[in-house]
Amino acid sequence: MDLALQLLFTGIGIGAVYALVALGFVLIFRATNVVNFAQGEFSMVAAYLMVVAVEAGLPYWAAFIVALLGMALLGVVFNLGVYYPLRHRTYLPVIIATIGASILMANSVLAIYGPQPQVLEGWFETPGIQVGPVYLDSQYLLIIGVTICLVIFNFWFFEKTLLGKKLQATSQDKEMASLLGISVSTMIMITFIYSAVLGGLAGILVAPVLFVSIQMGSTIALKAFAATIIGGFGDVAGAIIGGLALGVIETFGAAYISVPYKDGFAFLVLIAFLIFRPQGIFGERVAEKA
Amino acid sequence: MKLTRRDFATGIAAGIAAPYLIKSAKAQAATLKIGMCAPVTGPAAESGGYAIKGARLALEAVNKAGGILGKQGELIVEDDQTTNPGIVLAFSKLASQPDIVGFLGSIRSTQVHAMAPDVIKLGKPVMIGGTDPNLTHMGNQWLFRCRPNDSYSGRVIAEFGVNTLGKKKWAVLHSTDAFGTAGGKALSGALEKLGAPSVLDQGYANQSQDFTPVVLAIKQSGADILGSYFTFENDLGIFARQLRQLGVNIPWVGSPSITNVTALKLAGPALYNTYGVADYAEDSSEGSKAFGKIYRDAVKVAPDNQSSWTFDAINVLSAAINKAGSTDPGKIREAILATRKFAGAEGEYNFDQNGDGLHGYNVVKNEKGNIVFDKHIEFND
Repeated sequence: MDLALQLLFTGIGIGAVYALVALGFVLIFRATNVVNFAQGEFSMVAAYLMVVAVEAGLPYWAAFIVALLGMALLGVVFNLGVYYPLRHRTYLPVIIATIGASILMANSVLAIYGPQPQVLEGWFETPGIQVGPVYLDSQYLLIIGVTICLVIFNFWFFEKTLLGKKLQATSQDKEMASLLGISVSTMIMITFIYSAVLGGLAGILVAPVLFVSIQMGSTIALKAFAATIIGGFGDVAGAIIGGLALGVIETFGAAYISVPYKDGFAFLVLIAFLIFRPQGIFGERVAEKA
Repeated sequence: MKLTRRDFATGIAAGIAAPYLIKSAKAQAATLKIGMCAPVTGPAAESGGYAIKGARLALEAVNKAGGILGKQGELIVEDDQTTNPGIVLAFSKLASQPDIVGFLGSIRSTQVHAMAPDVIKLGKPVMIGGTDPNLTHMGNQWLFRCRPNDSYSGRVIAEFGVNTLGKKKWAVLHSTDAFGTAGGKALSGALEKLGAPSVLDQGYANQSQDFTPVVLAIKQSGADILGSYFTFENDLGIFARQLRQLGVNIPWVGSPSITNVTALKLAGPALYNTYGVADYAEDSSEGSKAFGKIYRDAVKVAPDNQSSWTFDAINVLSAAINKAGSTDPGKIREAILATRKFAGAEGEYNFDQNGDGLHGYNVVKNEKGNIVFDKHIEFND
């Protein structure tokens, strides 16, 4: 039981990271109907921005704000440079452009900062607390807390605010939104900014656990992408549940079945969903959606 | 004599081309090329940088001392991208240059396995740092190892843990790649011979993000000592932190990666008081001390095995070519195999007929982040 509780906590912690990145995937997919394969690199870039800001002598909180502002700017640049020029094309060129952008980002950071993995200290001086038989890593606690806050914030933002409703309207039917006077391009711009900040937040939060490296974004993004499919592509709640489920499944699979095949369990679940429930947990069938 | 338009054009062309041809011929004659496959990009790019620096420092010293066969040595580096396809491509690019007389391969066994078939086809000496014992026991006569292989590291880890630390309940943790699998097997085999079979033999996949299940398995196994073979330093860093956080404080004796500069930086205090077998330990010999000084002066960081093996590889290869008095691959091979009592940064080289130059390991201890030499264990069998 102690073992299961420890695994559950760690699984939820790592799953929360997948969920944050998956959320970025979903928001962009809803707004633009394309998958942004550079979402993982947003996490990596933000973690490096944080390292640079901390090394420059900024207090941790200020470095955090600087890194997130940097990500907001990256979101603007990404929208204008990658999505906007291709917005009238089919989804394929846009997806290829996002893959190209992710390679560009990874190699740019490599060229500027070098290949050395970096250590980023966490928010708390205490690495964790022991609650009975379970050790609670303070960074994972923070990640879980932030994920819960974001779920609440997203619900409030998309359901209760005018801007959120405009974003929803844009994602559901761009032409109709445009006819109603909503600036579609502005809404898409906001979506990219929000997604970049979300991806960046995930990267900054997970960096003290996984270290800051060029590969960190792609490793997380692959799982987050699987989480998005499991949860139901295009569904915010699905991304959260999919991410958490994936984290828990792979952690328990590794502990009770096989450690070397840990990644395999995540993708086995993904394949099972693609075969038996391709719309994911919360997704609707295309015919039903119509 | 009548100058035709064709004669004029030929003359002009020859006039333009001649300086370049002479310069190119001069350059070809002036240098003797050694190829090197190194991870310039990918997960091991940092250690790849150290490896290149080690090789360049050795070549600078060789050139200052008169060069190779009277020519200046030149290092041609190709990026292996830290992947198996990457090293195959890198090696094929180097192999297509006929004036390269010898090569440096990878420190990663899995990559050496990937390039090995092309090495046989080419038939030129390749110095390697991969420590899977099979690499020099699979009939490839062109691979020469400048680090002790894992049959020695496994034996040293086992002997030190059992006889010096007095521990008998072992958890063996290893990567599931070629290096980790061979290392884990060597350690388990050595433990069985010492009458202390492992209570847990646990593999893990490279680039794991979480080691909680592994740590809990070690905890549940009741092991009183841990032996490990980690391939990548970031995996080692994550594991070390989680191991300590989850309250596992048993003695830990690891393969050489546990003493790497990158691993020490990432894991920090989580690696304090651990032991490692290290092919390179700065205080283990005069040759090691000399290399340490050269490297610190030039690179301004502490030396480790990533740079020491390439430093030795260049020195051994250059000395063998000079001794052979020829760039004929067969003669260089014979000269390498005849190398005896060669003082290198990693220790004293005495090549056996398989192509293994070193036959023992140093045991070192992490004392608050400083790697301190403990003892050297050499095998003669």
